[in-house]
Amino acid sequence: MSDLAHDVGVDAHHEEHESTGIENRKLGMWVFLSSEFLFFGALITNYLLYSNRGGFEGTYPAEIYDIPFTSVSSFVLLMSSLTMVLAHNALSRNDQNGARTWLFATAALGSVFLGGQVFEFYEFITVYEMTLSTNPAASAFYVLTGFHGTHVALGVIMLLSLWGISRRQGGLSERHGLNLELVGLYWHFVDIIWIVIFTVVYLLSVPPV
Amino acid sequence: MSSEEHSHPTPGQYWKIAAFLAVVTAIEVAMFYIDRQLELGFLNAAVLLALSAIKFIVVVGWFMHVRYEKPLINRFFAGGFVLACALYLVVLTALGVVAIRGG
Repeated sequence: MSDLAHDVGVDAHHEEHESTGIENRKLGMWVFLSSEFLFFGALITNYLLYSNRGGFEGTYPAEIYDIPFTSVSSFVLLMSSLTMVLAHNALSRNDQNGARTWLFATAALGSVFLGGQVFEFYEFITVYEMTLSTNPAASAFYVLTGFHGTHVALGVIMLLSLWGISRRQGGLSERHGLNLELVGLYWHFVDIIWIVIFTVVYLLSVPPV
Repeated sequence: MSSEEHSHPTPGQYWKIAAFLAVVTAIEVAMFYIDRQLELGFLNAAVLLALSAIKFIVVVGWFMHVRYEKPLINRFFAGGFVLACALYLVVLTALGVVAIRGG
């Protein structure tokens, strides 16, 4: 291909994929995250509807929350947003080792958060006998926090995939650099959803009187 | 690298932002225990929601770089958020949850 043809080809490619001035995959991620507000909004609303509605048997989530424990979990997830943005920053400076290290740190912090959630669920089920079907408040709690945990788990898998690619290839290419940015957006989104859940579900919940 | 990216925070600034977020989280937890003692009620809810909103805005603005992005992205993101808040506020109001918790 001649230089001119190559240039035309590049321009056509550029125009096809960036007619909005924003890389299409990046715009797609923002639209996806925007739609996720509606998804988590429904789950949070469901919890608010049932969290202190009396008349049902069994333990209510608000009666057994371990606030110090959940505060530490929240802190861990919040700090994972820091390590994520440091990974992105390192890659933008072409510091591949730094990017890899911070990616792994983010995945590790995400795993710690998930471990905390598994421990919390285990304790609620075995010690307090609050299962998914105990009452509507328990169902709403498990569905909401469970879906959030699933999002975190998917994020950890994506982070570890990028980390593995970076290790195998000795760094992330430009294409994978965009992937890191997209995973970063997803990860921060998961964090802001937890910011809302921590306040609305844990700190502001009151059991039925 | 675009000119927009030049204004992104430095790693040192990111650490400072994270420290700020950690302090806000600590205040939130402190508010929870203060409310148990003093039963602040609506004031506690208002302060906790305000602190949560501050954390939300800081993460979205600085960590997600929304304040450095093109306006189209801001509109998509804010649009989804405002739509979700409006929709579920209507649902919660219609089902009486807002009145019960507010009272």
